[in-house]
This record gives sequence, structure tokens and C-alpha cells, in this order.
Amino acid sequence: MSAAILVDVTKCTGCERCVDACVEENGLDPVQAQKDRATTEDGLSDNRLLSILQVEDGRFARMSCMHCVEPSCVSACLVGGITKTPEGPVVYDPDKCIGCRYCMLACPFHVPRYEWDETVPFMKKCAMCFQRLNDGLEPACVEACPNDALHFGERDDLLRKAHDLIASNRGSYVDRVWGEHEFGGTSVLYISDVDLASLGWPAPDTEAIPSLTEPLIEKTPFIGLSVAGGLLGLNWIIQRRRRLGAEAVAAQDEGAGGATGPAASEAVPEGEDEGEEAKLAERSSP
Amino acid sequence: MSGRTRGIKDVLWALALAGLVAGAFRLWFGLGATTNLTDAVPWGLWKILNMVAGVAISTSGFTVGFLVYVLKMERFKPLMKPAILVAFLGYGCSCLALLFDIGLPHRFWHPFVMWNEHSFLFEVFWCVILYFTVTSIELAPLVFDKLKAEKVSRFLHRIAFGAVIVGISLSSLHHSSLGSLFLVTPQRLHPLWYTPLLPLLFIISAMGAGMMFLVLLKILYARWYDPVSIFGPRDERRRLVLILTGKGKEAEEMGPARGRDLPMVVGLASIATGILGVYLLLQIFNLFYHGAWQALDVASWETWLFAFELFIAAVLPLALVWSPRTRYSPRALGIAAFSASAGLALNRLDVGIFGYFHDAAQIYFPSLAEWALSVGVVAAAGLAFFFFVENFPVFDDDWFERRRISRMVEASFDSLSRVWRTALKSGLERASLIGVVVVPLAWILMYPPYGEPDPPEVRPAAGMNVTRTQLRIDGNQAGVQTEFPHEDHKERLGGEESCVTCHHMALPEDETTPCFRCHTHLVDSTMIFDHEEHEAFVAEEEGFGGPYPENHTCAVCHTQGVTKTAETAKSCMDCHQEDTDWDQEVEEDPTVDLARAVSYMEAMHENCMGCHQDEAVKQDRPELRDCSTCHSSLTPRDHPVRALADQQVRGGSTSMAGGG
Repeated sequence: MSAAILVDVTKCTGCERCVDACVEENGLDPVQAQKDRATTEDGLSDNRLLSILQVEDGRFARMSCMHCVEPSCVSACLVGGITKTPEGPVVYDPDKCIGCRYCMLACPFHVPRYEWDETVPFMKKCAMCFQRLNDGLEPACVEACPNDALHFGERDDLLRKAHDLIASNRGSYVDRVWGEHEFGGTSVLYISDVDLASLGWPAPDTEAIPSLTEPLIEKTPFIGLSVAGGLLGLNWIIQRRRRLGAEAVAAQDEGAGGATGPAASEAVPEGEDEGEEAKLAERSSP
Repeated sequence: MSGRTRGIKDVLWALALAGLVAGAFRLWFGLGATTNLTDAVPWGLWKILNMVAGVAISTSGFTVGFLVYVLKMERFKPLMKPAILVAFLGYGCSCLALLFDIGLPHRFWHPFVMWNEHSFLFEVFWCVILYFTVTSIELAPLVFDKLKAEKVSRFLHRIAFGAVIVGISLSSLHHSSLGSLFLVTPQRLHPLWYTPLLPLLFIISAMGAGMMFLVLLKILYARWYDPVSIFGPRDERRRLVLILTGKGKEAEEMGPARGRDLPMVVGLASIATGILGVYLLLQIFNLFYHGAWQALDVASWETWLFAFELFIAAVLPLALVWSPRTRYSPRALGIAAFSASAGLALNRLDVGIFGYFHDAAQIYFPSLAEWALSVGVVAAAGLAFFFFVENFPVFDDDWFERRRISRMVEASFDSLSRVWRTALKSGLERASLIGVVVVPLAWILMYPPYGEPDPPEVRPAAGMNVTRTQLRIDGNQAGVQTEFPHEDHKERLGGEESCVTCHHMALPEDETTPCFRCHTHLVDSTMIFDHEEHEAFVAEEEGFGGPYPENHTCAVCHTQGVTKTAETAKSCMDCHQEDTDWDQEVEEDPTVDLARAVSYMEAMHENCMGCHQDEAVKQDRPELRDCSTCHSSLTPRDHPVRALADQQVRGGSTSMAGGG
């Protein structure tokens, strides 16, 4: 099963009761949440994990973690502190976090927030009320919505519902379910009568971010080993050339009946480079 | 000889100590108080300059190792030890800075046991740690040779080749992976810098610029300790002046002024600039390969930054090293090497910081503490560099012999200078003297609580006209405002008699104290009870002649024999009911703390919404209950849009909903 939330932008009036419920559910400070609402760009902070953004005049949308199907943050976290649960939510484990903040850089929606004011800080983001889900409840925001703008359910069911709504209210919705395909799909879906690009939605065919890095990083061990192997091979070739070259010089010296002794056999002059060594090697071949 | 570097070392000590103060503040007060990092710009100077650029500039450890051990270019062998030293110090100081940058430094070991092999940062972590170990092993013979621990030394020499091979393999991985770190931000990083080729660009530029950095250090070392080796016996400055003033012939007549090591250094610079040339071509190819040329725009500062970065990173070094006129000039070589190193650092700053400005919609400028720690860590590495080159044969083996002679010469100077020198001879003494000056200064300049912003103040509801018939309620001054027909409400509610409906409490001898007088904070409740003023007032009223005689003043409000708290004191309304001219008695709710004024926003909401909800039912006008009645921006689609002034203010597409 994979839980998801469907946001109907046409029904949201921007009352922010979902935000209040979120603040309460997550044990955040309501006064600080109000302060952050006034002082942050998009209303999200380490004390306000959910925000209502005005998309257009009279159009509001819920903004929080999108719970991507293939999350960039999960792929980026070096200690595996963020996981996409089989139940749907993307959850963060504060016990693993080292505070590198790569998840914040990696998130295409700018969602993760940091407790900058703490001496021992952690990352904060919506967890789709994972605990409530386990208890068989809806997320707090969905439960609090008085306008039926938030729907909770299976992602597949919600997608079907969204398409049904668009089909049965022809003309009153844009024919697009935001979150169906973008970045490989998200678990927070939007239907709307206005464009939602301002929430950070890209073109529908934008691929999942892990697909940009994971094929590359899978090759890492092979690259490392092949570099090491290549180096050893190169070293062997050059060693051999040098040896052959030295033997040739020694042979020439002996042939000329000139200077003898072990010093002559080591007479590879300093500053020799590969090209000259190659020539020496060629000379020695017959 | 030490006189040449003494000034430099003093500066390095000062910077390192200032960095120490910054580091202490960072650990004590946290990241938010000491840095200018925000949720929009989570990675700043410490990560990009110290880590990403610092590691990249230290590539010479593996590139020179490759030239010497694998390609057997023996002529570069004298640069092997300096290269390893650079790698060791570069990686060491990067890791140190990173310890301060991560939010939970005490968990730095987590990636050892908690793995996410899908993360490039995980790969970088492991490779950097392993490679740092390798450089330690490579550097160790230097120390053990001096300690005359021959067995250890022999063992280390035997595994040297293996260490080099492992080192190169690790380097080939993490120098490209540092570029791959930014592959996860295709939507956020500026298109001029975002490309799938980032890993390739990163490793190639790091290889070239890393060698150039070694060239720079070799030239600086020669300047400070061994001028003949690079600058040669001739007057190089005069030669350069002749060249620059167009008297090339005379300069040629002087002949090349070459130190014995100059050809080797030029050889390395040639290889390095060759690699930088490849980097330049790759960057140009990339512009078309990835379509980034579409982002080239004369009007955007990013374009100029990109061009400048490429110019100093590759074009200038190439020109200086390959032009026959400047090829054997140590000065030009030094400029080329510095330019390439700075270009590399700038490129990493572009990819890691500047390239995100357009996305974050805000400019990040590091705080003083960020600069101090960033530079301080590098300064500490610089001091370690001096320590190594002065105590171990890093750059040349006969350094000890020359230093012994120079000390003998120094010792023969007159006694006056000897007194001066003995007073400030030991480096540690000088350092502690510098510390006495620098540490308090850095403390004062960077003490975090000074920098905390003032809380937002509530602005009074301004009258839109002189008679205050229309008020503009704009508590947070953010342009999200509510227009309130004051006169209209007054008339509807029954004229002067109705003031008390809203002006529920007034200052003595006032009837209509404005809301903001007590509700001073937009979202926070505030204490409005002035204890001192009450004491003085009571004392005067009762004729006590002063506030405290025999605690009489206390007894006016507090019951004797009971702990004096707000709860046990007399009700406010006992006195203030008489103070006001209100006919109507203000209901006193025992659960309400009259000494505490709720936030401005809460006060406005409670004041208005009670009536509005009642009237909505009474008059059967449900829209009176809607947020949109007051907050025009919250207009639900079905209600007639009220044309209000704040629509002009909120022109942007995405902005905060609601009012203030």
C-alpha cells in the first residue's frame, strides 16, 4: 500500500486550519509558527512544516513535503537517515542524521528545514503523520480541512479519483494531475484550475532525480578497480620498457668495449621521458 | 632566513586564532547564530570553499605520484614530497572545517557504520577519509626518517608504490564525485554550471589546478628559503621590466635567468596547463553539448562570472606558461599558478554557491565568523606547512645544512638585535602575544548575540484620513493589511456609547486607548503590567511619601502573609473600574490574565470575530463570518471580489496568504 494526499486547489480557501492542526500534531510552538509565517518566504520553517501558499488571487495550495515516489533526499542522505516507507510517507530518522544538509540541497521542492537556532540541530519536515497512519488515522491536516480540499487514500485510488473529477467537471480543472509523473511521481497530488508552476512543479516529463545519479554511482567500484588495474598495467609496460632499454644500453656498451661495471647497466639518464624510452625500447627489439 | 617568513607567520597566527574563536562560537551558539546560512542556502563557505575547493586544490598528491611512480618521470621526483604534504594538509584542513560545518559534529563517524551507497556524499566521505589515510602513510616516512625509526621507515618505503596506486584510484573517484554532488540539483543550479559532465569537469580542472598550486608553492618556497633554485643568480625583476616595457631585445641579451629547478617547474606547469587547456575545450564543448549557451546573456551577471572564471582558471595560465616571453619567468609562472588556483576556487564557489542565487531568490554573503573559520583553518594549514618545511626535508634535502649556516650568521649579529630576537624568539611566544591582541578583538567582532535581529514591532492602525473614519490595520507591516471602516462601525453600534464594545480597556483618564498600545507584539503576548509605576502611583495616592515605607504600598494590592504573586493580588478591575468612565461594567473573566496582553493578531481576531459571528446569524448574512470579509486576499471564489488596495501590494504569484 502507498498512502497519498490529493489537494483540490479549487476547494482550498486558505483558512490554514490544516497548518494549525499540523503544528499541534507535531508538538510545535504555535506562537513561533505564526512568527515564521510572517517572516519566511514560503511559510515553511523548522517550526512550521506545512504552509498555505497563494498561487493566484483567491487560489491557495497546501505546500509541504511531496513524499516523492523516488525521493532525491533519500538517495542523497549519506547515512541513510531518510527513508521512503512502503506505506508511502518519506520519514526522517534524527538518530542517524549528522547535519550535513545535503537533503536540503537535493530536494527539488525546497522542503527540508533546519533548526538553525539550535546548538544540536536536526532537519524538520512533514512525515505525513506517519504515527497516525500506523494508528489507522488520517494525517492531521486532512482531518482538519473544513472544505474537503484534502483527500487521503491510496495513491492509485486518488489518481483515479483525480482523473474522474477532471473528467466529470470538464473545463473547471486544468487537465493535469500534478505529482502523477513529475520527478517520477509524488505522493502529494494536486488538481487545480490554475497553473501550479509557482509551487516548484516542473514539466510533467521531468525525470526522478535519483535516476541522474544512481546509474553513475553504481559504476563507482568498477571505475575505481579499472583505474587501479590500468595503473598497474601501465606501470608494468613502462617498467619493462625501461628494463629492456637499460639492457640495450648495457649491450651497446659491452659491444663497444667501453666502460664496464654495474654502473653502466643502470645508466638510465635522469629526465628521461616516455617517448625516449619508447625509442630505446624499439632499438633494443632486434 | 626566518625573517622573510616571520611576518607571514604572524599573520597566519592571527588568522588561525581568530578562526579558533569563530569555531568556539560555532560550537557554543550553533550554526544559525554564527553563520548566514538559511533554509534557502543550506551550503555555504565552509562546505564549498574549504571542502569542495580545498580538496580539489590538493590533487597534486596523486597527479605528481602518477607522473613519478607510474609514468616514471623521475625529473619530478623532487616535487613528490611537497605534493604529498599539500595533499595531507589540504585534506586535513578540509575535514577540520567540515567538522564545524556539519550540524552534529559528534556524529562525524556515523557514515562509517550507517551506509547509503546510493549517495555521492557517502562515496566522497569514504574516499576522502581513505585518501587522507593514504597521504598520512605517504607522508609518514618523512617523520620516521627524522626519528631514525629505520624499520618502520623501510616498511613504509616498501609499501609506497601500493599507497600511490590506491591513492590515485581513490582520487579518480572522489574528485569526480565532488562534481556529482551537484547533479541532484538540475532545477536549482544555474544552467551555465549545471551539466551532466560536472564530474568530468571537476576532476580535470582539479588535476590541472592542483599541479599549478604546487608550482605556486614551489615558487613561494624558493622565494622564502631558496631563491637561487628558481630565480637563478640574475636579476629577474629587471628582465621582466624590460620585457614589459617593450625592450625585449635587451631582455634576451640578458639571457634566461634560470634557477636549477626552473625547468622542472616549467615542465610541471606545462603539463598542468595542458590539462587546463583540455578543461577549457571541454567547458566550451559543454556549452553546446548541454545547451547551456542559451543561458549566456550579456545582461546576467552569471555570464560574466562564468567568463571571468574560465579566463583566470584556464586562459590566463595557458597564455602565461606557453608564451615564449613569459615561459621561463618565475614571476609570470607564479601569476599563472595563482590565477589557476584562484580560478579553481572560484569555479567551486560558482557551482556551490553563486549558481544557486537565482534559485534561492536571495544573496548569501558569509558572516564574519564564517570567513574567520574558513580562512583560519587554511591559515592553520599554512602554519603546519611552515612547520613541515622548516623541520623536515620536504622541498630540498640540504635545507638543514643551509639553515645551520644561516643561524651561525644570524648569531654573529650585534647584541642589540639578539636581545630583540630572544624576547620574541620562540614562535609560541610570538603567537601568544598575537593571541592576546587577536582573540579579544575577534571575540568582540563575532560575538553572536550582538547580531540577533530585533523582534518585529506592531505598527498602530493608521488612519487613512484625518478624522479616522477609515483605519488601515497593518500590524506586521508586510503589506498584508485590512481596511477597517471605523466610523461606520461606530455609527452602526450606537455612537460614542459603543466605544467600549471594542476598546475594552483603557489607560487611566483615557477612553479609547488604541489597540497597539497594549498589544505590542504581532504574534506574541506581552506583559503590560508595570509594577514599578503602580507602586509609585499607589504611594502617591495613599500619601505614603515614597514607594516602600514599611511595605504599606504592597498591602494595597497584596494580602499580607501570603506569597506575593499576581494570582494572590487584588483584581485589576477593583481600581480600574473607577478609573474609566465606562458605564458598562467590563466583565471579568478569572481565567484571563489582565496583566498580559495577547498578541496583536489574536486581539484583532477576537475583537472582531465575536460580533461578526453573532451578526452573521442575526442578520442571516453568512459571509460576515468569512475571512474574506476583512482579508480581501482570502476571498473565496463565490463571493464578490472586493476591490481593495492591498491587491496592488501583492502582485506576485506566490505569496503568503492571509492578513495581519
